[in-house]
Amino acid sequence: MPIPRLLSTASFRLSTLYGAVTIFCFAILLAVTYWTATAALREQLRLEVLNDLQTLTFESDADGVGTIVQDINERTLISSKIGGYYFLSNKDGLKLAGNLDAIIPGEGWQELGFEHVAANQVMALTDEDHELWGQGNRLADGSFLFVAQDAFRVLSAQEAIIHSFLWSAAAAIFLAVFAGVVMSQGFLRQIDAINATSQAIMDGDLTQRIPVKGTSDEIDRLSINLNRLLDSNHSLLESLKQVSTNIAHDLRTPLSRLRQGLEELKLKPAGTIEHDGAVDAAIAESDQLLATFSALLRIAQIESGTRKSAFKVFDLSQVFERVASAYSAVAEDEGKTFAAEIAPGLSFRGDSDLLLQMVANLLENAIRHTPSQSRIWLTLLPGHNGAVASVADSGPGIPPDERDKVFERFYRLDSSRTTAGNGLGLALVAAVADLHGIGILLADNQPGLKVVLNLSGST
Amino acid sequence: MKLLLIEDDPNTTGFILRGLKEHGHVADHAADGKDGLFLAASGKYDALIVDRMLPGLDGLSILKMLRATDNHVPTLFLTTMGGIDDRVEGLEAGADDYLIKPFAFAELLARLGALMRRPPVSDVKTVLRVGDLEMELLKRVVTRGGRAVDLQPQEFRLLEYFMRSEGRAVTRTMLLENVWDFHFDPQTSVVETHISRLRAKIDKGFPVELLRTLRGVGYCLRADT
Repeated sequence: MPIPRLLSTASFRLSTLYGAVTIFCFAILLAVTYWTATAALREQLRLEVLNDLQTLTFESDADGVGTIVQDINERTLISSKIGGYYFLSNKDGLKLAGNLDAIIPGEGWQELGFEHVAANQVMALTDEDHELWGQGNRLADGSFLFVAQDAFRVLSAQEAIIHSFLWSAAAAIFLAVFAGVVMSQGFLRQIDAINATSQAIMDGDLTQRIPVKGTSDEIDRLSINLNRLLDSNHSLLESLKQVSTNIAHDLRTPLSRLRQGLEELKLKPAGTIEHDGAVDAAIAESDQLLATFSALLRIAQIESGTRKSAFKVFDLSQVFERVASAYSAVAEDEGKTFAAEIAPGLSFRGDSDLLLQMVANLLENAIRHTPSQSRIWLTLLPGHNGAVASVADSGPGIPPDERDKVFERFYRLDSSRTTAGNGLGLALVAAVADLHGIGILLADNQPGLKVVLNLSGST
Repeated sequence: MKLLLIEDDPNTTGFILRGLKEHGHVADHAADGKDGLFLAASGKYDALIVDRMLPGLDGLSILKMLRATDNHVPTLFLTTMGGIDDRVEGLEAGADDYLIKPFAFAELLARLGALMRRPPVSDVKTVLRVGDLEMELLKRVVTRGGRAVDLQPQEFRLLEYFMRSEGRAVTRTMLLENVWDFHFDPQTSVVETHISRLRAKIDKGFPVELLRTLRGVGYCLRADT
């Protein structure tokens, strides 16, 4: 994977940020450790120096300078072991004892370079880790005493702290960058998979789907949702294709019949009954075609949802009553028993014309697709959440595996191919139901079909 | 009958004008909305046929302007196929009837006939009579030749519509719209079923058949032979 791309990923930027935060925390830790540890060491060293100085001062004040010259000489002999450095001069500045050179600073706490150590006392201690930290005091007789110690302990501790920080900081940075690269690569692989799938789909393979790892992390969930989106788009596209094919197929038959009729008409002498009959047949055929187009346009218009703006609350019971009274006679004349049970006073918000056509279509289907002697029921009853309506019959019903398909445009059961009709009745029912948020259920009426409408929102 | 057709499509125009002439009507024509409004405002027409989609000024606007100037000339509104809101919009703008294109000429003629003889609103009849058939609207009683005819509510409404349209052609769609308030084309014989039941009640056993079928047009209720 190219490095610049890796560096520009979101997860890499994030891990770099984490690295920076880690280093910042390290720096704070260092500062605190450095300050507390060295302050203790420094204080310890100071106390040792002051202690030594006090002892020598007491001795000198009690027994005279001469006694401490002896002491200092003894101590400087082993100074390389105990690390003590001394300088004693009389009140005129003349050096009396000590392992430090004559150049002496004033009284008080001093932190000096190591160049003051007398040449014979320097034991290869010339690097910068060594400093002289000490205090000078004027004694009672006017002589001057300076006691110091090598600050190596403090300085080397400081250095050790800084070093350990630098190493761990370097390790932290390395780990952060490494983790960033690993995470980014995993992330990029998933993104690449999504991109590859999109490209494949754009190239025409609509069945491609994004691989899902099954870890249900964010990317996985995104992939699952994208796959669902692709699935629904795919099925929409398929149904669109199906519809165009169906339109072409369903309109070809009446069109060729029309053409055939017109051709035959040419041969018949004008003014005869035969001629007039053929003209009427041709007109009826074209009317049927126009009705099919009209139904298609109507479904498309309903699906566009523009009718929603004209929704009104209307008397649902009355609409059902109107349908029942219009069709009861039709059902009877077809030799079928029709029964309606309609609860009065139910209302619904929507388009009453469309609701009427929906119920009429369902009832017409029940009348048209059942054998004579069948029974047909229409009900409208109050339910838990709004009204529940049903149109049921004792006819052949719809096989369970075809119940979804019957709502497609032009879909017709094999058994009803010979029945007149444009195959759009249930497609319109589905469009009206969808517009109003009405749930449709096709159930087995044992025997027959039962269409249940869930008119939630009605009162 | 003097008519004005406001329509821009030459095919439809030719079809309507030829048909009207054949049936003895005089018709003027305007191919754009503004000319149409100008002619319509002259007040010399018995009825208007107005297309919804027009160049210059659309059919709805023409209607609204005419109605705004208190011009109540009967108007038939032409709309395109599938325009499910057109009917409501057209009627709200003041149209008296509407027709979806493409239509059969017989349908247009029948509807124009119904428009022309629409009784004035003030003329409220309580008894309708066609030959020896009588309908008392208040008591909701129907008799033929003095014999009571028992009708279902829908049959009563159907007959009332026929009696008010006495002597005029009534198409199947006109019945669906006016009697059942159905604005779609049923796939079953709703109209035919009720017509045959009504016939059995009012015509069966009588020498003169009042409710007749007009082939290719629809039905007509008339007393003369």
